[in-house]
Amino acid sequence: MAANDKRIGAALAAATCTLLGNGTPSPAQAADDVNSWDFETALLYYGESDSRVRDISLSALAKRLFEDEKHLDLSLSVDTLTGASPSGAIATGGAQTFTSPSGREVYSTPANEIPLDDTFLDTRVAVSARWTQPFARLYSGSAGASFSTEYDYTHIGADLALSRDFNRRNTTMSAAVAYSQDDIDPVGGAPQALSQMLDVGDLTNRRGAQSKDVMDVLIGMTQVIDRTTLLRINYSFSDSSGYLTDPYKFVSVVDPISGDTLTRSPPSGTQGPGGVYRFESRPDSRTKHGLFLEAKHAFGSKVLDVSYRYMTDDWEIDSQTLDARLRWPLGGVGYLEPHLRYYSQTAADFYRVSLADGEPLPRFASADSRLGDFDAITVGVKFGREMRHGAEWSARIELYRQSADVPDALLIGNQFGRERSLDLNAIIAQISYRFGL
Amino acid sequence: MATPCEVLLELDDAGEARAVAESVARSAWRVEDRFSRYRTDNIVQAINTSAGKPVIVDDETANLLDFAATLHELSGGLFDITSGVLRRAWVFDGHARLPARDDIEALLPLVGWHKVSWRRPVLTLLPDMQLDFGGIGKEYAVDQAIAAVRRDFPVSCLINFGGDLAISHPRQQGLAWRVGVESATGPTSSAAAMIDLYRGALATSGDTHRFILSDGRRYTHILDPRTGWPVEHAPRSVTVCAATCTDAGMLTTMALLHGSRAAEFLESAGVRHWIQH
Amino acid sequence: MRGLGIGLVIVALAGCASTGVAPWERDVLAKPEMQLDAEPLDVAFDDHIYFSKEASSGGRGFGGGGCGCN
Repeated sequence: MAANDKRIGAALAAATCTLLGNGTPSPAQAADDVNSWDFETALLYYGESDSRVRDISLSALAKRLFEDEKHLDLSLSVDTLTGASPSGAIATGGAQTFTSPSGREVYSTPANEIPLDDTFLDTRVAVSARWTQPFARLYSGSAGASFSTEYDYTHIGADLALSRDFNRRNTTMSAAVAYSQDDIDPVGGAPQALSQMLDVGDLTNRRGAQSKDVMDVLIGMTQVIDRTTLLRINYSFSDSSGYLTDPYKFVSVVDPISGDTLTRSPPSGTQGPGGVYRFESRPDSRTKHGLFLEAKHAFGSKVLDVSYRYMTDDWEIDSQTLDARLRWPLGGVGYLEPHLRYYSQTAADFYRVSLADGEPLPRFASADSRLGDFDAITVGVKFGREMRHGAEWSARIELYRQSADVPDALLIGNQFGRERSLDLNAIIAQISYRFGL
Repeated sequence: MATPCEVLLELDDAGEARAVAESVARSAWRVEDRFSRYRTDNIVQAINTSAGKPVIVDDETANLLDFAATLHELSGGLFDITSGVLRRAWVFDGHARLPARDDIEALLPLVGWHKVSWRRPVLTLLPDMQLDFGGIGKEYAVDQAIAAVRRDFPVSCLINFGGDLAISHPRQQGLAWRVGVESATGPTSSAAAMIDLYRGALATSGDTHRFILSDGRRYTHILDPRTGWPVEHAPRSVTVCAATCTDAGMLTTMALLHGSRAAEFLESAGVRHWIQH
Repeated sequence: MRGLGIGLVIVALAGCASTGVAPWERDVLAKPEMQLDAEPLDVAFDDHIYFSKEASSGGRGFGGGGCGCN
């Protein structure tokens, strides 16, 4: 039968040739996506000014489309982080000495400078996999898992999602839930909350490994408005519980009048902190709500993507994010994509600049600038170019600037005259390559 | 043509775009005017009202008749341009009205290419027999139109007459024309397959829009001319990629006529195909 | 209470669900740059950077995180 079919195929081609009288046509050439791999790889550099954090990251995504619209998405990411970041201590009149997180050595900061802890060097590997497939006529579901590991941190997570189309597929409603379990094993062990920083070799205030778990729920809707406009709205809920504190950050204890950090001397023969510092403490649960709106609109060949996100939580942190991207095709097959992002957050209710000696210790306290009031702006541009057979190169460069706004109410005495916080200035540079096999 | 016809062009000049579009429209209308069974002034009308008398046809019509004869032979009698009369009994509008057996029986004597006398250029049908080029016409029109574009305009062009399409050249920079095949069963917004076409043509046939649902059974509009009833176990949709649209179109029709053996047939014929059940 | 308010907003917006396009009008919407999950690597990198440097995460997708950087 097969040989007969082959004969029929050839005879048909010949008959068509005769009918059309155009001479032998060139053979057809087509390729499709099904049962082929799609890859995307990228190299990213993140660098902060003033010898602060530097991160290099390599990522790869692989996607395979199967028949009946099923697909598998895999990702692998490796990154290396080095550099100094603020420890939470504030500047004071004299030089300061701290015990390192491992408890094995000390490091110092000159007078009148905000202390940075530069003892970090970490490599992280993260992998994830997701399977998506349609169910029945209008439903689609997916299940995913993720895993990551670094020197002091391990994460494992799973998620499930379901979506349904309505209204001639112009509306899609989706619901997703994710659960993750993270284990933190800080160098030297997690310090007891609000305990004082001890001398080198003294780990009596350390409590070993900790863990936290996070449950996320996402409910979303996508709506086609017209031929050139798409809208998305998401509500997200997140509940974390467990060890949410940063084990490496601490708060300076200061004189209640002068605002200068209390000094101390380690016992002779030992090294240790030259001041009084207490490790930070955050609540053991955090509930967040978020609202996210995004619109994509095509103006001729240009596409504008604008999004707004509002987040609020029970730590009193409220944030707003406004993001805009414009895809601007250049003649031929390249494009330019300028990007602008504005972010603003209000401080956690337990955020403070320092702890005043003599006052009762609060239950929670953190001087981590990432929990304070600040604004941030990102400005960037991306350039991309499509190659033959659907491959694409792209490169982007962005500048990120974060400026804190420490309110006067949190300052005491001499702190008014000193640098309150460090602005963060970072460059983000990325090169990507997308191709199929 | 009874389907939306579109022309996609990759060029900057609006004047040239209009010229190409007009060329395609002229090609399409020419084929439609000559071979549509709905017109009252063409050769098809003359043939269908010949009441058993011989008709002398021109070269182009003769070529189509030769082609139809070849198809009839290659398909073992399944492809038959005289089967159009069965339309009187079958109405494929998604409703549940199956025709009465007697109605079909009454029409079968009028169906059968082997009953036709075709000795080029003389064609003689039995009285009341009807010819219908609908199964070939659209794809033939696409091929005529794309050949004209290729000959007269150095542009990259995709011509799509309701799912039967062909391209003149690949796109700029050697990129392919990206075509999505409508999903027969699933979401209409997403494609069952995304095909990158560098050269050649695509044709799709199926019963996505024309069928009868009765007692939970789906009856496709592809009829077996020997019995007057729909082909059994035909796939919902077949898409074939071939050098010309006519070739691709005939392969999809043949595949559907093979019913449950559609996939086997296309595999052996050695063409790229996408089948949805 | 704030969470409930946000939840009601999304339900209200879901009411305008009779707008849209016919299947043959999806040419522009099919372009890669019009997809909501376009540029996944860029989004993943950015999410990771902002998760490390800011106190909010997620919204577009899940919170990400799963790293010891915050």
